[in-house]
Amino acid sequence: MDPVIKIRVEELTFRYGTRTVLRDVNAVFFEGALTAVVGPSGRGKSTFLMALNRLWEEVPGADARGRVWVRLDGNERLVSDPSFPVTELRRRVAMVFQVPNPLPMSIFKNVAFPLKVMGLRDKAVAAEVVEDALRRAFLWDEVKDRLREDARLLSGGQQQRLCIARALAAQPDVLLLDEPTSSLDARAAGIIEELLLTLKGRCTLVVVSHYLEQVERLADQVYEVADETLQLVS
Amino acid sequence: MTRRERLTRKILGAATLCAAALPLSILIFMVVLARPLFSSFSVTDLLTGTWEPLQGRYGILPMMTASLLLALASLAVAFPVSLGCAGLIFGLAPPVVTVPLRRLVQLMTGFPTVVYGFVGVFVLVPAVRDLFQAGSGRCLLSALVPLSLMITPTMTLFFSDAFAAVPRPILLAATASGADPVQRFVWVVIPSARRGLAAGMVLSFGRAVGDTLIALMLAGNAARMPSGFLESSRTLTAHVALVIAADFQSLEFASIFVCGMVLYVLTSCAALCAWRMRAAAERYSG
Repeated sequence: MDPVIKIRVEELTFRYGTRTVLRDVNAVFFEGALTAVVGPSGRGKSTFLMALNRLWEEVPGADARGRVWVRLDGNERLVSDPSFPVTELRRRVAMVFQVPNPLPMSIFKNVAFPLKVMGLRDKAVAAEVVEDALRRAFLWDEVKDRLREDARLLSGGQQQRLCIARALAAQPDVLLLDEPTSSLDARAAGIIEELLLTLKGRCTLVVVSHYLEQVERLADQVYEVADETLQLVS
Repeated sequence: MTRRERLTRKILGAATLCAAALPLSILIFMVVLARPLFSSFSVTDLLTGTWEPLQGRYGILPMMTASLLLALASLAVAFPVSLGCAGLIFGLAPPVVTVPLRRLVQLMTGFPTVVYGFVGVFVLVPAVRDLFQAGSGRCLLSALVPLSLMITPTMTLFFSDAFAAVPRPILLAATASGADPVQRFVWVVIPSARRGLAAGMVLSFGRAVGDTLIALMLAGNAARMPSGFLESSRTLTAHVALVIAADFQSLEFASIFVCGMVLYVLTSCAALCAWRMRAAAERYSG
């Protein structure tokens, strides 16, 4: 059986002001696979991720042209379609950033935040989802007794796993990770890599990275950013 | 260090010392001028007594009460309006609205208070008189409305600064979690900015308690304990403005320096609180 295409990018051009960062990018990402995007710093890898969930719209001066489709519930949907709410897109195409960015609230509330945003009011259901997300992010055993504590008291690696748990809480189809281990020590990075391998299959992963060894260990498919475009390397 | 550098340093040091000594010398000046009162009355008498100069009573409790009542009430009115305006400026409104709104608010901080006072005298006072059948119409309520309007722009700018200081990664985290702009504002931005908001409140309180003209023109100036917002009342600042015409040697005149000290302590405390809260807010976000 052919693998299902989860994300299709066509002729994506991206500018910051007058500077073109990406030009006519075409790419496909397969369902349940982990695709790595590699390349030197400052060439638009993170920008590319932000084009997939329209987060670039939050960046002043940024401008994206082209088409991005995401397959959701069996239908391909154009992310820029006005009838497709951007808030729903961002819940289903979730993102984890380079530097862990816990919200200034408790551990529990951080993970429950996407649920609150979706309007879920049932506390029992929320508690269940939070526990499940924290388990999937390998964090439950470390924090189960301190869920009411401020999330910013966690270590860097724990904070990043918390951010992954927060992204997982809304049951996303796609998880975008922007150099998720680059601000962490080797041990914490190792845990996150292991975690990404367990997420493969249930979730489509797009990981920006500049550690080639990491990419070789994890990725099913690798794109490289070069000459303002994305090239399939393997 | 060259000679010129040493000289510059000395001049700047002297200027700093002067600037620091000035507020202190004002306090000392007020204590000295209020001394005639302290020889025949205790501090408690002055701070808790009534104002009946013909009977030899120079208490300023009614004025303190009116000042606090008016300042706190105007704070309560201005807070939601300022929060809303600052929210719109922060990005809840499209840029077409945001930019002119911010300009307007900045412009409004510069209006002289006498303008608000005039509008109050000719529009508000008659309206309050007719609507509530409240004597002359000069009462705390008539002063409350323009005073709230006066502190709203200042408070809005303080709040805008507090919102602008919320770290960007936190905003991105909320947006990437699927929060719409209103959810992000209410659940993430306001809680993150709460220390800055509190500091803005305290500074606006200082401004409200220190305003003289609006209260003088609109509150009615009866030197008795206010029993409601429709009562003619006199604030500390209006009291100072009214009594300053008294005989320099009289005890009435000395009493305005007690008012001055109370105002001085109130606004200094407000400024100190705000300063501490801002410092805490900076540590917190940094």
